[in-house]
Amino acid sequence: MINQRYKLDFFKQKAIAPLVMFRIIFGAMLLFSSVRFIAKGWVNTQYIEPQFYFGYLGFEWIKPLPGNLMYIPFVLMVLAALFILLGFMYRYSAFVFFICFTYVELIDKSNYLNHYYFLSLMSFLMVLVPANRDFSIDAKLFPKIRREVTYAWHTGILKFQLAVVYIFAGIAKINSDWLFEAQPLKIWLQAHHNVPFVGSLLQEEWTAYFFSWMGCVYDLFIVFFLLNKKTRPIAYLAVIFFHVITWLLFPIGVFPWVMIFSTTIFFGTKFHQQLLNGLKSLFKWSKKIPEKVKNMPSPKPYVRYGLIIYIAFQILVPLRFLAYPGNLYWNEEGFRFSWRVMLMHKEGNATFYVTDKSTGRTIEVDNTDFLTVRQEDQMATQPDMILQFAKMLKEEYDGKTFSNHKQSITLHDPAVHAEVFVTLNGRSSQLFIDKKHDLTTLPYNLKHREWIVPFEK
Amino acid sequence: MLKKSIGLVLILSAGLLFSCKDKKDKDDDVADFNKAEMLENVSANIILPALNKFDVEVTAMKSSYATFKADQNVANLEEVKAHWKSAYMTWQTLKIFDFGPIRTIGFKSATGTYPIDTAKIHSNIDNGGYNLSAVVNLDAVGLNALDYLLYNDNAMNQLQNDADYANYAEEVIQKLYDETQSVVSGWSSYESTFNASTGTSSTSAFSEFVNEFNRDYELAKTAKVGIPIGKANLGLANPEYVEARYSGISFELLDESIKALKATYNGNSFDSNAEGIGFSNYLVHLEKSSLDNTINDKFGIIQNHIDGFSMTLEEAINDPSKTDQLDDLYLHLQQQVVNIKTDMTAAFGVLITYQDNDGD
Repeated sequence: MINQRYKLDFFKQKAIAPLVMFRIIFGAMLLFSSVRFIAKGWVNTQYIEPQFYFGYLGFEWIKPLPGNLMYIPFVLMVLAALFILLGFMYRYSAFVFFICFTYVELIDKSNYLNHYYFLSLMSFLMVLVPANRDFSIDAKLFPKIRREVTYAWHTGILKFQLAVVYIFAGIAKINSDWLFEAQPLKIWLQAHHNVPFVGSLLQEEWTAYFFSWMGCVYDLFIVFFLLNKKTRPIAYLAVIFFHVITWLLFPIGVFPWVMIFSTTIFFGTKFHQQLLNGLKSLFKWSKKIPEKVKNMPSPKPYVRYGLIIYIAFQILVPLRFLAYPGNLYWNEEGFRFSWRVMLMHKEGNATFYVTDKSTGRTIEVDNTDFLTVRQEDQMATQPDMILQFAKMLKEEYDGKTFSNHKQSITLHDPAVHAEVFVTLNGRSSQLFIDKKHDLTTLPYNLKHREWIVPFEK
Repeated sequence: MLKKSIGLVLILSAGLLFSCKDKKDKDDDVADFNKAEMLENVSANIILPALNKFDVEVTAMKSSYATFKADQNVANLEEVKAHWKSAYMTWQTLKIFDFGPIRTIGFKSATGTYPIDTAKIHSNIDNGGYNLSAVVNLDAVGLNALDYLLYNDNAMNQLQNDADYANYAEEVIQKLYDETQSVVSGWSSYESTFNASTGTSSTSAFSEFVNEFNRDYELAKTAKVGIPIGKANLGLANPEYVEARYSGISFELLDESIKALKATYNGNSFDSNAEGIGFSNYLVHLEKSSLDNTINDKFGIIQNHIDGFSMTLEEAINDPSKTDQLDDLYLHLQQQVVNIKTDMTAAFGVLITYQDNDGD
């Protein structure tokens, strides 16, 4: 039904106020999170200190800038976010933000977070929409760009993106661990048993079930309640309550705030209009309205096709896991870019062995020689990263000479094996990767990885 | 974190009001457990007594060395060595707790680094003008520098005839003493922070404790056994990497280290080995008794394997007939990593990463 409505009304003229308000709110959020990222010292720990980066398949050519030059994209992001907020050189600023942010995210898989992907997509969409056509520096400098209306798809596509996040997050929760074992929430909630007064409540079993089911229902249906004018106020209260709780309980940084503020896009025109008018009078924005303020150019057909392609892409990508056999959480094939948020508690221990083929002698690798703690932690449970690391180890060790006081051996074309144990959602650890495979001989692609030991139960 | 806790209390207290669950109704079959009580037990009955014992032994080493310097005979040197060894054995417990004041002053690396660089020690002695606190001298100070200075074949001769050598040993002891005092006073103010920090964030004391426990176990596995027997070197043994090589007490130290880790895991008292609250109790509380048994059994198996050697580690390394036995010991050490680092940590819901992060 929603789809139909969007399809029919892509180019309907609507008030621009919600879009302008969203630009301001979103710009402020981007500004805050970019400054926060730098202030936390994460540029250094995630993009300067590591010796090795887990690139994305097909994007391995994307490398960090050398040393402190890596701060450049982050400083650009801060400036671009500020300019988005102010509506100054808006399209360029949105584009610069999108490019810098996406570049940074593509450097290393071990930093992948669903909410980073969300920000990347949203900043891309912001490049496409004319959110600077009112109450912006651009509109001040070039009054003829000012409009009171805009196409329906300009806000519709943003709502669609949010709907995708919530609904797919909800669908992902429909699985037996989440609903019938209350895992991983059982593990995560009991860890708070020392919180005064409510601690004992948090380690009750029924609390974990209650949170699991409520979380699932919330994710699946919140968008529909936000879309409906009547239920919107109570739905937004639920949004605030839900995300504040997750922020209090889990180390999920700014994500709850991103969602709380982004969902204001669902509010009615009247609300945004009043807010915008308030801001306008606060900043003494000229009331004088240029003539062509209600003229929209005639719709271009390629926009419709572009939107349909984007929408289809957003719906199909999270479903690509259906093309793979086996347990999704175990194999993690088609796992990323699918809004599987806070869905599993997976820990692993990966031991790599580099073997000299001619003598059969072996080195046990100390992963921390090559990886940061965060990278090792991520790698140990994700097969594609295990494979990437093995191939990196081969390069690292090939041609190296090892010796003691008695003899000396030089490695040529070594084999790399790994023994990996993984625990998923509170189960005992199981063998994940068997030592029998020489990982350097295995292909790194999107095909099903038969070398993963199948999930037992 | 505190801010967050307060917020959590406010919001969920509202929930409590509506929940008609009677508190006395709690399941009786699940053993009670409280992280705060565990941290209190560990700090009061393990960390503090170990720190005090270490302080006593280092202080005694310092004064016995002064006695020896005034009257350089074998008996007086034996007295120094006895306190050194006792301090080193106590260190096996203390080194697990690399957080708070121990981490702040870099006590773990300043005290326990090995192998030491004997050439650097001699160049320091010969050239003077060294700064023992400099990072470059980390492998020229600490308990292993003393292992060399007190136990090498020519030690007595050099202590008696080379004033610079004798002074160097004295300065290494003095440095250890000063740092110990600083940790002792630092711990007394940190203790309450530690006891109260039960959260799940990567910076909470509980998380740090779990992570450092694992790190210390892995370090024991790798540095005490793996590297010397050549696990990182294509199986080519490196006897020069053996801990406490000159005194030859490497197996005793390994045994003590495993014992300390096991006692800490079980929350047992440092002084009396009386049972207390530890990770073990937490696992039982989480209905993971079988994992708890596996971990304790594995510690026992490892200790049995260590006891199977009636020689120094260096002698075992150099004896080809002992290779399989060493590999076997290492295999058991390796298997325990999965139990404690993967299974136990996952059950606690602790993040392995040390840095704060944005999460999903």
